[in-house]
Amino acid sequence: MPYLVADSLSRKYGHNLALDDFSLSVNKGELFALLGPDGAGKTTMIRVLCRLLDPDSGSVTINGLDLQQRYDDIKPILGYMPQQFSLYPDLSVEENMTFYAGMYGVTGQAYRDKRDQLYQFSKLGPFAKRRASALSGGMKQKLALSCALIHNPRMLILDEPTTGVDPLSRRQFWETLLQLKSQGVTILVSTPYMDEVARCDRAAFIFGGRKLAEDRPAQLAAAFQGSIFYIDREPTSQLLNQIMSIDGLTTARFGAGMHLYLAPDDSLDPYLNALSQLGLNSSDINPIAPSLEDRFIQLMESPT
Amino acid sequence: MWRGYIGLIRKEFIQIRRDRNMLGIIFLMPIIQLLLLGYAVNTDVKQLDIDIYDFDRSTHSREFVRSFEAGDHFVPEEVISHSNTDPVWELAKRFKTSETQLALLIPPNFSEKLTRNENVTVGLIADGSDANAARAGLGYAGQIVRKYSNHVTGMEVPLEIRHNFLYNPELESVYYMIPGIIVTLLTMVTTMLTSMGIVRERETGTLEQISVTPISSHALLAGKITTFAFLGLLEMGLALAVGILWFGIPFAGSPWFLLWVSALYLLTTLGMGTFFSTITSTQQQAMFLAWFFSVFAILTSGFFSPISNMPIWMQNITLLNPMRYFMTVVRGIMMKGSGPADMIPDILAITAYGLTVFTLAAARFRKRTE
Repeated sequence: MPYLVADSLSRKYGHNLALDDFSLSVNKGELFALLGPDGAGKTTMIRVLCRLLDPDSGSVTINGLDLQQRYDDIKPILGYMPQQFSLYPDLSVEENMTFYAGMYGVTGQAYRDKRDQLYQFSKLGPFAKRRASALSGGMKQKLALSCALIHNPRMLILDEPTTGVDPLSRRQFWETLLQLKSQGVTILVSTPYMDEVARCDRAAFIFGGRKLAEDRPAQLAAAFQGSIFYIDREPTSQLLNQIMSIDGLTTARFGAGMHLYLAPDDSLDPYLNALSQLGLNSSDINPIAPSLEDRFIQLMESPT
Repeated sequence: MWRGYIGLIRKEFIQIRRDRNMLGIIFLMPIIQLLLLGYAVNTDVKQLDIDIYDFDRSTHSREFVRSFEAGDHFVPEEVISHSNTDPVWELAKRFKTSETQLALLIPPNFSEKLTRNENVTVGLIADGSDANAARAGLGYAGQIVRKYSNHVTGMEVPLEIRHNFLYNPELESVYYMIPGIIVTLLTMVTTMLTSMGIVRERETGTLEQISVTPISSHALLAGKITTFAFLGLLEMGLALAVGILWFGIPFAGSPWFLLWVSALYLLTTLGMGTFFSTITSTQQQAMFLAWFFSVFAILTSGFFSPISNMPIWMQNITLLNPMRYFMTVVRGIMMKGSGPADMIPDILAITAYGLTVFTLAAARFRKRTE
């Protein structure tokens, strides 16, 4: 059952189309990722979904309520965590939480219960009196999430919450998101990291303001057209260029090796000769399953 | 929906308490301004240095010079007696080095002409680079010369003015400076704090974070300006206390009436601050605009120079300045003890300004935050 529905959103910045006829739907209780590189339009999309930015055209409904007309009814069920840390640096951890609780009308015992519950996950209890400006990156991010959760939102929208956060905090953060999901919270999270998408129920690729694909992570990767081989060789530019110059082959650096892409209905055999002249034997070239990144790159280069 | 209003005010006060620089500006500024302007901008002219060039050196001329010593206005110094150079060169030099502000030249035939009952001309040269002191000095000197003439001729001048300055008999400039400072402070502090306070929230992103919460933009704006209005009035009280306790200025009217008019006037300054916050994106820009507005308001308010001294076109411009009306009212309340009925046009102008400016600014603020 769709909980958040965005219908053909477009938004221009000057001549630049930041969102181009973008539609997506997030089901109730789903953990949904909006995946794309920097400048793809993720933040614009999220700001439109939180009504911080009006689209030039298109509409958004959350829980069946129109965002433009029923914003006041949506606010209490919506939690938003921006990319930039946007709490008061001169207030303490607890003062920030009290303040945002007050903005949502969460006071008294209800507030204290929620606060203690949030301290349990964030482990910020011992730092309650510390100024937000003196927190580490990971702690800041936990505080921001706590403030976004203080009113028990049913829909949580997060803009690149793990960018610039250390790997350990990142993992903890995703565990918290999965925990929230298990409590029935619908979550939309934007990220530039492919590995994070694997933990989501579904994801959408965004690039150049357009949606390239929307599906479950495994399906997204499996939709790769053609086949992929891993070349276990140091990816020098010279080698990459030499492979690229062979008609019908494309390649890209991948970690310590290279990915070799073949078009659908093509096979490796006709190229083995040319490749062996570059010193690459068939034992160095092994077929692998396509990853999300492979599919994303394919869609970026030739959207179908 | 007024949810969150109290929480917002509580947050503002916590932030102000934490911001040592801001606290310093808020509470030291009025005291420093009062002391500076109360003492330094003193338009009373006393103890003027006057050089005496007595070329006559007679009993009469000495008696004439002594009449300049009486009173508090002049500090005469005989120059010609210890000068070996040409007295005219000496005079030019002493003006240039600011050793003196005035010079009195008594001609050699002073005594001779007086005894023959002839008209005598004495010379008085004043340093016009300080026009205020020069004008006052010439005025005082004229009085002394008139008195001395009466004394010599034994004749009373048929017409004489007995003057009396109402509300400020000693013409103490601090009496009218302090109401002016209070008006200035209230304007600057509330305009600056409001514009910077709102823009700061926009800079840190907290305004955006607040705008996704259910608090209404009315409650949000109200929460911010309540704090700044309170600070402005507190500042005004502080300035008043220093004025009354330290400088001993009188307070003739009703403090409650002053508070009431100030609250009305605050609508204008808080409104201007809010407006500035909607057209700027950094605190520096906001501060500059607030500062520019304050300077314009102060210069055309009649604080330093009377509006009636300005050219007509400038006088017309001052009518646009809300501070001008508030200045009149505050001086009226503090010095003359005027009540509401005495200043209806000014109060109406303040009210009209307040309602218009604030309504427009609030509408703009609402548009920018929703």
